[in-house]
Amino acid sequence: MLKYSLKRLLQSLITVFIVITLVFLLMRLLPEEGYFGDGYDKLTPEQRENILRKFGLLDPWYVQLKNFYSSLLKGDLGKSIIYRPDVPVIDIIKLKIPYSMTFGLAAIAVSLLFGLSMGIHTARNKGRFWDKIWSGYVVFINAVPAAVYLLFIQLYITGLKYKGRSIFPMLFNRHNPRSWILPLISMSLGGIAGYALWMRRYMVDQLNQDYIRLARAKGMSEKQIMVKHVMRNAFVPMAQYLPASILLTISGSIYIESLYSIPGMGGLLVDVIQRQDNVMVQALVLIYSSLGIWGLFLGDLLMAIFDPRIRLEKKEGAR
Amino acid sequence: MTEPILSVRDLVVKFSLRGQILTAIRGASLDLYPGETLAIVGESGSGKSVFTKTWIGMLDANGWVDSGSILFEGKDLAKFTREREWLTIRGKKIAMVFQDPMTALNPLRTVGMQIQEALELHQDMRGEQAKARTIEILSEVGIDIPEVRYHQYPHEFSGGMRQRVVIAIAVACNPRILICDEPTTALDVTIQAQILELIRDLQRKMGATLVYITHDLGVVANVADRVAVMYAGEIIEYGTVDEIFFDPRHPYTWALLSSLPQLGIKGQPLYSIAGTPPNLFTDIQGDAFAPRNPNALKIDSVRRPPFFQVSPTHYAKTWLLDPRAPKVEPPETIRALRSKYERYAQ
Repeated sequence: MLKYSLKRLLQSLITVFIVITLVFLLMRLLPEEGYFGDGYDKLTPEQRENILRKFGLLDPWYVQLKNFYSSLLKGDLGKSIIYRPDVPVIDIIKLKIPYSMTFGLAAIAVSLLFGLSMGIHTARNKGRFWDKIWSGYVVFINAVPAAVYLLFIQLYITGLKYKGRSIFPMLFNRHNPRSWILPLISMSLGGIAGYALWMRRYMVDQLNQDYIRLARAKGMSEKQIMVKHVMRNAFVPMAQYLPASILLTISGSIYIESLYSIPGMGGLLVDVIQRQDNVMVQALVLIYSSLGIWGLFLGDLLMAIFDPRIRLEKKEGAR
Repeated sequence: MTEPILSVRDLVVKFSLRGQILTAIRGASLDLYPGETLAIVGESGSGKSVFTKTWIGMLDANGWVDSGSILFEGKDLAKFTREREWLTIRGKKIAMVFQDPMTALNPLRTVGMQIQEALELHQDMRGEQAKARTIEILSEVGIDIPEVRYHQYPHEFSGGMRQRVVIAIAVACNPRILICDEPTTALDVTIQAQILELIRDLQRKMGATLVYITHDLGVVANVADRVAVMYAGEIIEYGTVDEIFFDPRHPYTWALLSSLPQLGIKGQPLYSIAGTPPNLFTDIQGDAFAPRNPNALKIDSVRRPPFFQVSPTHYAKTWLLDPRAPKVEPPETIRALRSKYERYAQ
């Protein structure tokens, strides 16, 4: 287990290193405008050169790379240029991350709770009435563009009134818990469908396995078989992607956050790309890609904890 | 003879497949006596597995017992519908060992736990006591260093070892009847012999009744006391091993034995039964084997033969045994067997 973890850790570190380097080098290919802010047209060539020198952009690329790494090790992601001039990137996202992560984590919790129970329920009642209803839901969520039903939820559900007042406010307000509900539901719909779909699929796979037949012949009740044999086995393949989705809640949801005016991370990356704030783009791409890699790393560890075949991979040759 | 431990009468099992009804078991009857080893033989699709699965209520979801009875300890298992009823039988009284040990164990649970589950269910053991007994059983089924093996996972076991674990699970159930559904088919020959030996030893120790399902007649000759031959969902002949091997009466049993490679004559093509088994989707008239039987009588295609007694332990479902039937001699290979037997009996 230790060897396996160390191996994966090393692989992840190398991947992160490669990704960071690549991102940095690609950023050097972007037009220079992104470093000057709004007044680009009014600057003389000398002023432009001064600014570029200030950023260290006139050094050879390997010096730039070295400087970039040393500031990165100090936890310095640079300062925003256009989005909010001269404010450190960290300070900008520090305010936004809590919104995105809180909603994201809550949505994952809700999705897991409802998605897994739905998957388990449909797998146990395969082909019956509720299976068809829930499958319909899954197909609907996957087939209809999210924008359509999300917009409907906002338009029509906020229209519901109780004693003349809307039950659910149209916009997010930190101090009004009722305004948290619709964004949370909107964010969970897709997750519920996803987890239900895969849980059902993996459970049905498991139920057809020979060892389930043996467990039944052993005299275990369906309930015991579900708890001891089916559910855990079915969850293993899903566990792999859980850490990545948890970590990436940091990026927020573009569409839902803008629908309800939640001041989260959603859309920030698109925004800074459009406004050519090179430093911000660089910092965000770095954060998202390394979180993705660490998520997969944790997923691999989680898999190994659940599945002995992975953790004992090299130890014994016996099949 | 003593009272049967399990008695099946005129069992009919049907399956619904793509909107059609398939009759897998067409009125099979069988008595099982305590302590004996019975082998059920027949070609693939003859209904051997389905027949025994009805005893523990483990037909696939699209199958059902249509009529007939399965009497066991004063209860008719054919009438069982609820899981609660089956849980009093399954594993506890009648256990089953399946064909493929490679996939029969849950890859994510330790071998020890999978055996212990059965102990906890059927012998009311818990915790340390159950663990100690599990380790004991592991060593009973011939697994070395059971204390270490207890904590290992199935992928750390070879095929033969896994089959031992599956058998250990059956032992942990301590059943009165143990059904072995082709327990050695997936194993290589040397391991096969070891596993058969192991099952025989354990049977002696537990005093269980053993049912082998197999199409390996070599295994039958080795382990069984009695043999039942199945064809197209019917038991068509049964008797002691000697009776079936040396004095078979049903044309299908003749054909089955003639196709044994061991009985073939060197230089001559191996005997094979002409035609294919009947389509179980259709209603079969008369003797199901008649279309493939070169010596079929007229009545064979009209009326289904009843069981004719050959000896107190030997019965066969063929019109050839009717006193009015013409005398049909069994094929040469079978006659050779019979004369061999007569010499051996003297």
